[in-house]
Amino acid sequence: MYGDKALELIMELKRAAEGSLPAYNEDGVRQVLEEMSVLYDQNQADVLQEPSMTGGESLISAVQFRHTCLERNQRCLLAYLHNRMEMIKTMRWEFGSVLPPDIKNNMSEQESQWFNRYSKSLASYMRSLGEEGLDLTQDRKPPKNLFIQVRCLMDYGEFETEDGTLVVLKKNSQHFLLRSQCDLC
Amino acid sequence: MLISDIRLQFYDKILNKRVLLLVSHDVDALCACKILQSLFHCDHIQYTIVAVTGKQDLERAYLEHSDQLEFVVLINCGANLDLLDLLQPEENVTFFVCDSHRPVHVHNVFNTNQIKLLVNSGDEFNFPAFEDVIHNEHSDDDDSGNESDEPSGKRRRFDEETLERKMEKRRKRREWHENKEKIMYEYEEFSYHGTAASLVMYDLAWKLSQDTNDLLWWAITALTNQLIAKKIDREKYVSDVTELNRHVSRHNHRGNEEENPLSVNSMKVSFVPELQLTLYKHWSLFESMKHSSYTACTLKLWTLKGQKKLHEFLADMGLPLTQSKQKFTAMDKDFKDNVKDWVETSAKKFGLENISVPSFQVQFGFKHKFCAFDVAFSVDSLLESVSNSKSAEERFMEALDCLSRKYISKLEDGVELCKQQMMGVVNQVQTLLDMKKVVSAGPFLYAFIPDGTPDSKFFSRPNCLMLLGRFLLEAYVKLYNRRRSRNLPLVVTAPFDTADGTSLVVGIPPLPELEQASRNFFGKAFEQAASKTGSRTLHDHFEPSVVVLKTEDRSKFFDALISLLQ
Repeated sequence: MYGDKALELIMELKRAAEGSLPAYNEDGVRQVLEEMSVLYDQNQADVLQEPSMTGGESLISAVQFRHTCLERNQRCLLAYLHNRMEMIKTMRWEFGSVLPPDIKNNMSEQESQWFNRYSKSLASYMRSLGEEGLDLTQDRKPPKNLFIQVRCLMDYGEFETEDGTLVVLKKNSQHFLLRSQCDLC
Repeated sequence: MLISDIRLQFYDKILNKRVLLLVSHDVDALCACKILQSLFHCDHIQYTIVAVTGKQDLERAYLEHSDQLEFVVLINCGANLDLLDLLQPEENVTFFVCDSHRPVHVHNVFNTNQIKLLVNSGDEFNFPAFEDVIHNEHSDDDDSGNESDEPSGKRRRFDEETLERKMEKRRKRREWHENKEKIMYEYEEFSYHGTAASLVMYDLAWKLSQDTNDLLWWAITALTNQLIAKKIDREKYVSDVTELNRHVSRHNHRGNEEENPLSVNSMKVSFVPELQLTLYKHWSLFESMKHSSYTACTLKLWTLKGQKKLHEFLADMGLPLTQSKQKFTAMDKDFKDNVKDWVETSAKKFGLENISVPSFQVQFGFKHKFCAFDVAFSVDSLLESVSNSKSAEERFMEALDCLSRKYISKLEDGVELCKQQMMGVVNQVQTLLDMKKVVSAGPFLYAFIPDGTPDSKFFSRPNCLMLLGRFLLEAYVKLYNRRRSRNLPLVVTAPFDTADGTSLVVGIPPLPELEQASRNFFGKAFEQAASKTGSRTLHDHFEPSVVVLKTEDRSKFFDALISLLQ
């Protein structure tokens, strides 16, 4: 059936476990493209036939059917590529500019090119922020609370907060401190 | 000084300040701490929590953490100590003491600047009058000052008069001192417990309109623990339960169930009469009856006759033995649904009239359903767990965690621990009774748990030893049924630290007193016995009736105790 191959690609992407990138299915993509070119050729042949020939009207529905198949295949392919791109994009935010090798191996040539360019432009954007640049990949969600509970697992000694208060961080004591100050240490 | 408006005089004072919380090692303190924590989280009050096990610990923790702090909150510790004398604080430090230990030390009561006592307004204290116990040095100085100002010539003339006046004054002072001794003795003779700290804290939360079902449940847990540990009598318990029940119905009032169904995962607290059987919902009914002090003591389960009686009881209920030995959750549904009613009806025939107690249960999700007794027991066992790898502070943190719904699996660990503890207690009671190791020393009974007993490690923890003591006393009285022994108190000792050669001594007041007033005279008695004989004791625990004693000094100490109590 027309369109089955394209659907398979989409399904494959959908079935992939969250946070992983399935291998780029080059074979599948090529088969869909071949199917499309066959459909296109057939349509061309039918359209170029003499309109005066008998049964000319009956051809119209066939042409329309093939055209819909073509469009559907095209849409599926674009969705496949686009979704992979989005996945790669989120991975850039999660893993940083260097991806783990198993993910890298699953990318196509063009995808890794795109990744490098995306990575580069993101890095230059982050560098332009503020005076010394700002790492946007940290703290992507706003904190729910300004304060945080701290439990000491080992003796740390005295810890001076920004407003000058001294907190003794001793093993097995529990504190409620400003989150911004705790991130520093 | 007692605080009358807890919100104005306590909470508004510490808003936007940093606070040090010193929390003692018991369930009530944990729950109060949890309630206070959730209030502090709402209002962004920075705090530091430190767990303290005893008086020395309290002193050390205060010294370590008091830097730059102006406000210290003591939960379930400190009320019966002279805080200013013990901690030597700076003048600007204020202590807020929320403690159920009574009697409150008079210096704490009459200090107006630095010590504020957070108490329930309904409690009675019977404080002695100020002028009777605190000597007013100042006025005396004035008098003597006036005297020396008088011209010397006059002085000679009035010499006789002044001498008389002086004598008179000295006599008065002596009288006053004698009177003070008497009043103080009466005031401090018995130690007992007032309203739980958690209830005071819950009251605060309610006044701040920040009370939720979670906070309410903690207050319930603390109250239930007070009953289990016999810190309060039944009457007080029932009146506090009635008070809490008003909050429970306010929070869990939903109108028509079908119209506004509540999500299954939300917390629902409900008021139910509960059986006084330890952990029966997490154990089998048979085991639970064997390990609950109420049923075990009334049916005298350590005798053959008692065992038969238990079977009779189960037969009377119409519950097959296989079912009763089955895990409660795995029992047939018909039995499970009706078992509470059946136990109640059969219990009346066997002299167990008081088997059901008004209590609460909580449910969230499909799986988690706890009754207050189970939670109170489990948290206590976590706090007193005997695994070697954990320090007291770690146990405290774990017990603090298990109260939050997020760490419900820890509470389940606590249930298992509690079962082991109860089995240890029951076995020990059986052994002591079988070997006739409970001996009458005249004015009191005593029992030694020798070193090397299989479960002796459980009894190195004060609460567990007290549990054993109460169980043992009740069992002994029921078993021998002599009129004399009914009014005798019990002293139990267990090895505390074998390497140091120390034992833990706890005193259990006689049963009638335990049932009604829950007051304990052993605190004073231990203190006097120790000072008379010079025994090496450590009165470190916040509960005065718990003492650590050098094992070598035991006979000396007990001789003094006997002569003292006669």
